[in-house]
Amino acid sequence: MEIKGARGEGSGGSPYFFPVVAFIMAAPIFAVDTLTPLDTAIAVLYVAVIMPSAHFLGRRGVLAVSGGCIALTTISFLIVHRHDWDSSALVRLGVSLSAISITSILTLRNQQVTSALRDQANLLNLTHDAIFVRDMADRIIYWNQGAEQLYGWSPAEAVGQTAAGLLRTRFPDTPASIQAALLADRQWSGELVHFKRDGTQVIALSRWSVQMDKAGRPVAVMETNNDITERKHSEAMLQKAQAELAHAMRVATMGELTASIAHEVNQPLAAVITNGEAGLRWLGREVPDLGEARASVERMISSGKRANNVIARLRALARRDDPDHMPVNLNEIVEDALMLVQREADSHSVSVGLDLKASLPDISGDRVQLQQVVINLLMNAIQAMAGVSGWARELSIATREAREPSGTDIVTVEVRDTGIGIDEQSANQLFTAFYSTKKEGLGMGLSICRSIIEAHGGRISFETNADHGVSFTVGLPALKDPVP
Amino acid sequence: MSEVPMIAIVDDDESVRIATESLIRSFGFKTNVFSSAEAFLASSTMRETHCLISDVQMPTMSGLELFDVLRSRGAELPVIFITSFPEERVRRRAQAAGALGFLSKPFDADTMMSFVFQALKGRPLPG
Repeated sequence: MEIKGARGEGSGGSPYFFPVVAFIMAAPIFAVDTLTPLDTAIAVLYVAVIMPSAHFLGRRGVLAVSGGCIALTTISFLIVHRHDWDSSALVRLGVSLSAISITSILTLRNQQVTSALRDQANLLNLTHDAIFVRDMADRIIYWNQGAEQLYGWSPAEAVGQTAAGLLRTRFPDTPASIQAALLADRQWSGELVHFKRDGTQVIALSRWSVQMDKAGRPVAVMETNNDITERKHSEAMLQKAQAELAHAMRVATMGELTASIAHEVNQPLAAVITNGEAGLRWLGREVPDLGEARASVERMISSGKRANNVIARLRALARRDDPDHMPVNLNEIVEDALMLVQREADSHSVSVGLDLKASLPDISGDRVQLQQVVINLLMNAIQAMAGVSGWARELSIATREAREPSGTDIVTVEVRDTGIGIDEQSANQLFTAFYSTKKEGLGMGLSICRSIIEAHGGRISFETNADHGVSFTVGLPALKDPVP
Repeated sequence: MSEVPMIAIVDDDESVRIATESLIRSFGFKTNVFSSAEAFLASSTMRETHCLISDVQMPTMSGLELFDVLRSRGAELPVIFITSFPEERVRRRAQAAGALGFLSKPFDADTMMSFVFQALKGRPLPG
C-alpha cells in the first residue's frame, strides 16, 4: 500500500535536528573541498546533504539547502582557484553543481509525490469512519484517526498488531469462510462485534475490500467500520416494543375469547368426569361390564388430552417470547385459530366454511404471531356479521398456493365474511394504528396484523365482496424445500 | 314384560354426549343421542322418549328453544338441562318454563340420576 509510508510533518522531533545534522555533514565536505588540493569533484558529496533534507524540510527548505550547497561549492572554488582558473577545475565545478542541481530537482519531485500521498492519507483521516488497512497476515499497516477515535488506540499502538487480536473481533461466520468470500468477490461486508480499548463493545458495520498487486495477488485489505451499536440498540428496542404490543393484543383477544375458551376447556373436563362416573357404574354392576368400563376410561384419556391441547395452545398464545421463525403450515395455524373462535362463531349464528388446500407448502414464521393474525381476522369477520340480518352469516376460510408476478411461490389464506362491509373512507385507513370502526375498538388489531405479516416477508390486503362483506387475504412466501 | 324407559340426550359436543349416554346406559336405560335439537325433533323415536337431557347452548337451536317447541306441540316430556354457562337468567327461564332440572357441566352423576328417576316416577325401572 502506498499510503503505508506516509507520515506527518516534523516527524524528526526537535526542529534543530536536521540543521545540526546538515551542518555536521556539510562542514567536512566544505573543509576537504577547500583545504585539500584533490583533483576530484568533492562537492558532489553535497547530494548526501540534500537527499535527506526532503524528509525533514518543506519545498523551500530543500531549495535553501540546495542553494547553500551550491554557495559552499562556489565559495570553495573561489578560495582554492582564486589565482588560476584551471579549465579542468572549472569542469569539476560544473560536474558538482550539476549533480547538486539534478539531485535537488529529483528530491523536490519525490517530495511532491510523497506529499500528494500524504494528502490522500490525510483525506482518510477527514472521514469519521474508522478505516484501517491490514496485510494478508491480518497485521495492521495503516490506522486512521476515525479508527483511533472509535477504538481508542493511536496509529502507533495499532500498527503492527493483528486486527482480530487487537479488536477481539467476533465474526458472524467462521473467519475462514469470510476470507474465502472476500477473496472470491474482492470485497465483503457484514456486522462485526469489536471491543474498544476501554473494553466496551462496538457493533460495527464493516466493509472490506482487497488490494491486489499487478500480478493479481491480494496484498492488503482495507476495512471501513461504522459504529452501529446505537442503531442496533434502537432496533432491538423497537422490536421488543412491537413484540410486547403484539403480546398485549393477544392477551386482549384472549380476554374477548374468555367465554369460548372456558367452554373449550370445560367441555372435555365435563366429559372426563361423566365418563369416570359411568365407568364406576359399569364396574359396580352385579356383573361388572369390563368392556364398557374400559371404553369409559379410554374416552377419559382422550378428553383429557383434548383439554390439555386447548391449554397448551392458550399457553403458547400467552407467552411473550421473542418471535421464533420455524417451518410452519398455514393449514394447522388456521385450524388452531378456528378452534379458539369456533364458539364465538356459533354464538353469533355464523356458519363456518373451511376449504384447506391439501399438502400446502410450509412457510417460515412464528406460529403464535401468525395464529394471532388469523384469530384477529376471524374475530373481525364474526363481529362484522354480528349485526347482519336479511342474509346468511357465512365465514369462509380458504388456503391456497399461488405464484406472484415476480415468480415467488406464496401460500395464501383468505378470510371472507358476509358482514356489513367497509365504507370507502375506512378502507383507506384500515391498517392504520388507532383507526377503528368499532366503538370499543383500539384500532391496533389490523395494524399489528400488517406489521406481523410484513415482518414475515408477506402481504395483507382486502377487497369488498360483490355481494356482502369483505375478504382479507394474507400471502406469505412458501418455503422452497418442503421439510420432511 | 315391562318396557325399559328410553332417555334421549341432545348435545352438540360429542364427548359429553357419549359420556352422558354411557352413564345413563350403565343404569340399564335405553338411550338415543342427537347432536342437535333439530335432529331430535325430526326423529321418529321422539314420541317413545320418556325423558330428555339437553344441552342449553347449541349453534342453531338452543335447548330452551327446543323446550318451547316441545311444549307448543303439547309434549309433556320431562326435560333436564345441562350447560357450560350456568347463568342465573337462563336457569330461571328454564325453571319457569317447567324444566325438571338445570345442571351445570360437569354435573354430579348422583344429582343427574336423581332427576332421571324423578322423571320416570311411576314407570317400571330397569334391572
